[in-house]
Amino acid sequence: MLEIEGISYQSNAPKGVDPDEIFFVQVDADKCEGCGECNSACPTGAIQPINDDDIHGVIDTAACVNCGQCLANCPVGAIYEGVSYVDELFEKLKDPNTVVVSMPAPAVRYGLGECFGAPTGTYVGGKMHAALRKLGFDYIWDTEYAADVTIMEEGTELLTRVKEGGKGKHPLPQFTSCCPGWIKFVESYYPDLLPNLSTCKSPVAMLGTLAKTYGAKETKTDAKKIYTVSIMPCVAKKYEGLRPEMNQSGHRDIDATINTRELAYMIKKAGIEFNGLKDENPDPVLGESTGAATIFGTSGGVMEAALRLAYEELSNTKLANPDIKVVRAHEGIKTADVEVPNFGTVKIAVASGLQNAAKLCDEVRAGKSPYHFIEIMTCPGGCVNGGGQPLDPEIQASRFRSTVAKINRRFRTRKPTA
Amino acid sequence: MKFNRRNFLKAGAVMAGYAVLGFNVTKEAVAAAMEFVAQRQQSVYAADANPKIYKLRKSQDNPMVKKIYDHKDGFLHEGPCGHESHHLLHTHYVDRSKKLEALKAKGVELAL
Repeated sequence: MLEIEGISYQSNAPKGVDPDEIFFVQVDADKCEGCGECNSACPTGAIQPINDDDIHGVIDTAACVNCGQCLANCPVGAIYEGVSYVDELFEKLKDPNTVVVSMPAPAVRYGLGECFGAPTGTYVGGKMHAALRKLGFDYIWDTEYAADVTIMEEGTELLTRVKEGGKGKHPLPQFTSCCPGWIKFVESYYPDLLPNLSTCKSPVAMLGTLAKTYGAKETKTDAKKIYTVSIMPCVAKKYEGLRPEMNQSGHRDIDATINTRELAYMIKKAGIEFNGLKDENPDPVLGESTGAATIFGTSGGVMEAALRLAYEELSNTKLANPDIKVVRAHEGIKTADVEVPNFGTVKIAVASGLQNAAKLCDEVRAGKSPYHFIEIMTCPGGCVNGGGQPLDPEIQASRFRSTVAKINRRFRTRKPTA
Repeated sequence: MKFNRRNFLKAGAVMAGYAVLGFNVTKEAVAAAMEFVAQRQQSVYAADANPKIYKLRKSQDNPMVKKIYDHKDGFLHEGPCGHESHHLLHTHYVDRSKKLEALKAKGVELAL
């Protein structure tokens, strides 16, 4: 077990394993105090009491969407991650025959700084790129670039569905497909709605496959030597990277997946003075990005970024002010009618949290959904609150208190009682 | 907001704050400890609107996006949702409901 930013990890880099067999999160029964916080954070009920002492456990991998919200909300640190590529990644970074490529998600740069003492939410994108270079990554490519590509693909797909009136194989509303927890949720709980899911891969899956085709060509690198590292605010992305169909480049598209906490651990372990780093840019071809890409990190962001494209395409005019604040969502379900000149009304909905998603899914199933486009994020508030991000300061404080309580307890039991 | 143990403790702490410190001090403390998710979200929107961090704000304006979709010699020269895009950037999904039904048949109760 590795101890990483307050969470335990099993050093385990699975290859060619069916991800459906893996417990990406699991409860350490010795540490669980049966408080039930995990249960109330779990959108599906996959984590529940497994004995009379209220000790919890993930009941079955089929019910779990791997979002990690249980882990992020556990006040005693009893939940650990079952997969970590950190040890393998350190080896690959040392190997001169491997070309290691970074693929950090938008939300990572809004959480990473917290592991180095910065206030909650501090943007550390430039320092993150510098740190990746220092760690020995050969190309600093960025999932934000692929988020821009995703908008082009997913926006074009939406426009096609709207123009065809949502008939046939491509019905309306179109659901976003960036969030791996949500994808597994639809596949498991609402399989009849799979045709409504955008066929677009998530940004990091797009970047994985582009890195080993387009990126290999641009840098004149043998694609076989490229090792792609998905760096995510998320636990479910580890499942996504292992999906057997993610091999369209002719190789495994994603070789390793780590999360924000693991990146912070690697930077610390390598002895890099993070706070003293000067801002650096990513390598351009697969690294340059726009504001539309960075807002993928928050709930409502994919929707807003897509509308910045759809508005211009549908109306044939320029969008003077890119802020579309009506779609910005904090919690619950947000709906809006966006008026597009020369076209009409685009009806949208944004939901984070799968309980909210289920309400929208039930509407679609009943044929009563009025929307064109629906964005779903599994974690409340979006990726910035992902299961792989640094912990909520409140949770950290409660873990500190519970550790103190444990030490006190041990101290008392050591005393002779007679 | 759900009334779970954490929220109960939070409410208790705020009330204790009023009792000990008085109204104004507590109000400031609560504002400072504003929910961390909202703080991260605000930071995202601030970066998007900051030209020193992101010069451009629309995906279609990204020069590297224009390059990959260039009609003449772009890697994806057929444009978005073209043939090569479909091969590389789009995917298909799998119905995973059977395992779940088997689980429910065993008597496991889930939230949905």
